This record gives sequence, C-alpha cells and structure tokens, in this order.
Amino acid sequence: MLRMSYCTALVSGVSLLVFANVANAQICTSTVRVLAQPRDSLTLLESYKDEFKKLSGASFEFDYLNENDRRAKSRAEAATTGKYNVYYIDEANVALFAESKWIVPLLEYYPADASYDDFDAGRKKVASYNGVAYFAPIQGGGDLLYYRKDVLEKAGITPPKTLDEYEAALAKLNDPAKGFYGTALRGGRGSGANVWRWMTYFKAFGGQWFVDGKPAFNSDAAVKATETYLRLFQYSAPGTQTGSWTEVTEAFNSGNVAMIIESSPLAGQTEDPKQSSVAGKVGYTVPPRPLVGGGYGHGLAIGAKANADDAARKCAGAFIAWATSKQNEERRLERGIFGDINRTSVINSDAFKQKYGAEIGNALNETAQYTDVNFWVNADWPDLGDRWGIILEELITGTRTDIKGGLDELEAYANKLIARR
Amino acid sequence: MKRKTTLPAVFLIPPLIILAILAFVPTIAAVNIALQNRELSFPNSSYVWFANFIDLFGDRRFVNAIWISLIWEVVTVTATLVVAVLLAIFLFETASPRMRSLVSILFIIPVMLPRVSAAFVWKFMFNPLFGLINYPVKLLTGAPIDFLSLPATALASVAVVDVWQWGLFFSVIVLKLLETLPPQPFEAARLDNAKTWEVHFYIGIPMLAAPLISLVFVKMVESLRAFDLIYVMTRGGPGIATETLDMYAFSQGFVEAGKISYASSMAVLMMLATIITFTVLWKWVRKWQ
Repeated sequence: MLRMSYCTALVSGVSLLVFANVANAQICTSTVRVLAQPRDSLTLLESYKDEFKKLSGASFEFDYLNENDRRAKSRAEAATTGKYNVYYIDEANVALFAESKWIVPLLEYYPADASYDDFDAGRKKVASYNGVAYFAPIQGGGDLLYYRKDVLEKAGITPPKTLDEYEAALAKLNDPAKGFYGTALRGGRGSGANVWRWMTYFKAFGGQWFVDGKPAFNSDAAVKATETYLRLFQYSAPGTQTGSWTEVTEAFNSGNVAMIIESSPLAGQTEDPKQSSVAGKVGYTVPPRPLVGGGYGHGLAIGAKANADDAARKCAGAFIAWATSKQNEERRLERGIFGDINRTSVINSDAFKQKYGAEIGNALNETAQYTDVNFWVNADWPDLGDRWGIILEELITGTRTDIKGGLDELEAYANKLIARR
Repeated sequence: MKRKTTLPAVFLIPPLIILAILAFVPTIAAVNIALQNRELSFPNSSYVWFANFIDLFGDRRFVNAIWISLIWEVVTVTATLVVAVLLAIFLFETASPRMRSLVSILFIIPVMLPRVSAAFVWKFMFNPLFGLINYPVKLLTGAPIDFLSLPATALASVAVVDVWQWGLFFSVIVLKLLETLPPQPFEAARLDNAKTWEVHFYIGIPMLAAPLISLVFVKMVESLRAFDLIYVMTRGGPGIATETLDMYAFSQGFVEAGKISYASSMAVLMMLATIITFTVLWKWVRKWQ
C-alpha cells in the first residue's frame, strides 16, 4: 500500500514536472532580444542559455553597448523602432522611459514566486517611478570610501570621518613628483559621471534641485559644492579631468592613488588580484560626513513596443525573472561578480561573508544609512544632468571659470525644459 | 544617317532615379524635421518653422562648434597635405625604388585601420598614467601631460591621429605621382644648379597642381566626417574644446536631449554651408587653373 502510494506520488510528481516544463516551454515563442551594457553577470547568463530555453521554449540575445552609447541608443531605439523585448535601463532614465511609455510596469509580468521583494530596498527604490517598479536590478549600491591601508598607516593618517579631514589627508598624501596622487575624481561629462559625484557634495551642503516647482540649484550650496569639487581636483590623478568610472578605478586599482569615494561595486574589482594591484591593501568605510552617497541601480525592464501583447510581455517578464533570480545571483557570487549582487538573501548569506569578509559587508550595511537618491527624479533629468555635466567639465578643465554663470545658464535651461512639458 | 537610340536613357534613367531617391529623400526628410519641434521623448510634434534655426544662433555651443569645425578643417587639410608632399619628396629624393615600395606599404597601413580602432590605440598612447607618449615626457619634465584633457592640446592631439592616418596615405599617392612625371624638366633644372627644394617647388609641385587639388577636396570631405575619431578620443571635451558641428548635432539628437529637430536644423545648415563652400572653391580653382 505504502509502496503504491509512493509510486503514485512519484508518478504525480513527474507528471507535474513534465507539465510544468511543457507549460513553461510555451512561455516564449521567439528569441528574447535585449539591449544592454556589458556586465560580467550578463556574460555569465549567456553560458546558461540552454537552461532558459528549457524553461521558456526560446533563447535570448544580447546587444551590448557601453554605458553612454547604451543610453543614447536605447532612447533613440525605444522612441522609434522599439524592437528590443528587454531594455537595460538605469536610475537616471527610468522616469523618461516610464513617462514615455517605452517600458511597462514590471510586476504585472514578473512571476510572483521570483521574489521581487528580496531585492535590496535602495535598489527597489531607484527602480521605481511614481511608486511603480519598472526594472529588476542587475547592479546597484551606494558609495564607499576606499583607502589604501598601507599608505595611510605609513603617513600616520586614520581614515577621514569628515570632509575637512578628507581634504587634509589628500593634501598630505598627494605626491605627483613620485607619480602618486591623493585621489581620483570623475571629471568627464555626464549625469552619471562628473555630476554623479558632484551631487554628493551638493546634497551634503543642503542643495535642492527644485523648491516649490521652481529651479533652485544656482544656490549657495551649489556654488560651495562646485568650489569644493574643483578644489579637490588639485589632488586628482592625471587623466581623470575628462575621465569617469573607468579612468578613476584604473588609477586606483593600479596603485597610483591613496583614496577614492566611489560606488560600492568597485570593491569586487579591487579585491580581485587579476584586476587590481592593490588587492588586500584596501580598507572600506563610509564616505566622510556630510557627503550623501548616491544610491543607484541598473536593471532589466520590459519593452512596450516589441512586446505588443500580454503573452510577449509575460515572456520578457519570465526572462527578467530568470536573469535576476536568486540562483543566478548565487552563481555570480561563486564567480566573484560582486557588483551584480542585489538580493538581500544573497548579501546576508554565509557564502557572501565567507567570500568578502566582514569589513566590506559592514561598510555596505553602514553606508546604506548615508545613501539617498541625489538626482532629480524626472523624465528631463538626463537632459538637465548632461547639460550640467558639460558645464562642470568646462569648469574642471579651466575652459570657463564662472561657477555662478554656469549655474545661471543651467537654471535658464531648466526653465526652458519645464516650460515645454 | 544617324539613327536615334533610346539605349543611353535605358541605362541612365534607373540609376539616376535611385541616386535621386537616395539623395533627396533623406535631405527632404531632414529639412522637414528641422522645421518641427520633434523630440524623442514626446510622441507628438508640430511645425515651428524657423524657430530652431533662430535658436541656434543664440546657442553658444553651436557658435563654438562652427569655430571648432573650421579650425579642424583648416588644420587637418593643411597638415595632411604638407606632411604628404614633404614625405613624398623626401622619399623620391633619398630612397631606392625598392625601399620606396616597402615604405609605401608601411604608410598605407594606418589608413586601413578602422578609425575607431586607431582612436582607441592613440587614446591609450596619450594616457597620462600608462601612455607610451607620456613616458619620455615624464622622464624629461618629471610630470605627465594630459594631452586630451588640456584645452590647448586636445584638438591638436586628435588632429595628429587624423594626419597620421591620411598624411602617410597621401604621401604614397604623391610619391607615385612624382614617379610618373617626365624626368627632363627636373634634369634641366639640376643642370642649371637648382637646389632640390627649388626643383620641387618650382617644377614638381606645379606639374602636380591638378591632382593635388583633387587630394585637397578629398581630404576636405573626409575631414568633415571625423566624428568617430573625436567621439572616441575626447567626446568633444575638455568642455566643448573639440566639439565639432556633427558632434554637437549628435549630442543634441541622441546623447543629451533627444531633440532631433534641433539636431536636424544643424545638419541642414551644415549641408548648406558645405554645398556653398565647395561650389565657390570649385569655381575658384577652375578659374585659377
């Protein structure tokens, strides 16, 4: 009797699995096309193509472009042909994509058992617009202060806790004659480049983008933030005046820089001896006060045009759920793709602590309380942010010197942007 | 008696129709968009007629882009031709025919590299921390020079790459042209004790005036399309120090703002300026010849 029940259960279980597979195999009828920027986690997904095909009945295909080109192409493409089923978007353009209806609300098509709630709260916040979630995170985080433990110890400096201490330490550690620099800052144009770093100072000094619906950023806070940022450039490594993430992280990881304040995913690269000559020599802590870390997130969203009906949207949703699943995050952890881990269940796991130690985990937990959404959450943000990026780059490289004039120009531009909406 | 035939029309009309479609459809579309207020993030648009063109002349970045484009055009065309002629004469005077052939192959390689690849290679060479070019600079001065971030050197550094690609290639063409010239005028001048530079300045170059002018026109057109080189190396920076008209149009249309009508109005103005400039120059050259 018992044996028969066992057999019945086994047959039922197998039938359910087969049925589930048949049902899943019908989710997608054609290849899922994704416009993305290169990430190790996405490359890793490509080696599990068969797994997705088995689950959904179709394969997927990535078209990669670097960050700036991906932003430009996805905007032009989504507004015109819209042939991609899935877009890789980020915190800076989620408002534009959502308001223009180029993407659809994610959770309507994201399977409930894929546990969207498991993602880090900060990442869910930047993935939403007007309280509606639009993308599932692939990467994200806040800011950390990365410092060379050996260099600071030799100079008798403790990790700076305030901005004044930070600046004093940079002055002491900066030694261009020996090819060693205090810091590396992002000087290159862009809402996600120089403006991203500048905003942490702007917010620290009490700056606000808008007050009562009117632009308010040509304020004393903005002037002070700009003056401070420009002053710190005297300690920044060569090449960073027009550089961004790549130049800054290369300078630090090559051992030419004492301290940087950068986004948290860098920790994974810094501790990887294949990518960094300073692995094991770096300390991690929260950025000096009163800096407000820039919360950010990039992820996958369902395209509206290419997925004209519910069936196509469910397929795109199934792909996103699979691509951002706990199982795939665990694979990333195993491969050391630190920057692309977003689920709290993975971040708080023993495997994570074992791999990256307590210091990084503590710094990540601690920095969350000093992290905020620093940019203006609006469809016009990329336009306004990029315009300020150009003016800021001009100020950093000395092709213009009038800070107030630059901010006035930006305010006039903001008024034009608002007037046309 | 001459028989009329329709054969020329049969062969000419279809390609002419295709050419007309290829040339006029995008042009008319660009003019049409330039007269509207189309933006990528707005589904609807309306005709604003010349408002975009009026706005352009109050836009400091547009005025700057005209200036940068003019400098880029003059510098790269002049430098390419000067480098090409000097190198060709040097090889013609000093190298054996076998050596010339070998050097010609080497000189053609840079232009065969895709522009984007060439731009990346040189961008890395200019890198102040790891770049090859900065190695001797650091040895001599103790500090690197950030060539691509300094307003004074950024445009010149990008121009070096353009001249490296096209100047060497043109030098091979000029060398081959020199080899085709009859030797008698050169021999006569040398018998009259003319110096080498005098032989080429008064005899060689004037004899090559027509093909050299063609090369100037080819390079002028090519220099107008330097977008990829500048985009990879400086993205128009530092600030707007290397932002040419095509860079700014692309930036407004696709990178920063999605204002495709505004970008189209720039493209239309560029097209008009190019047509007028090339027509005037062409007529002037024909008159001069």
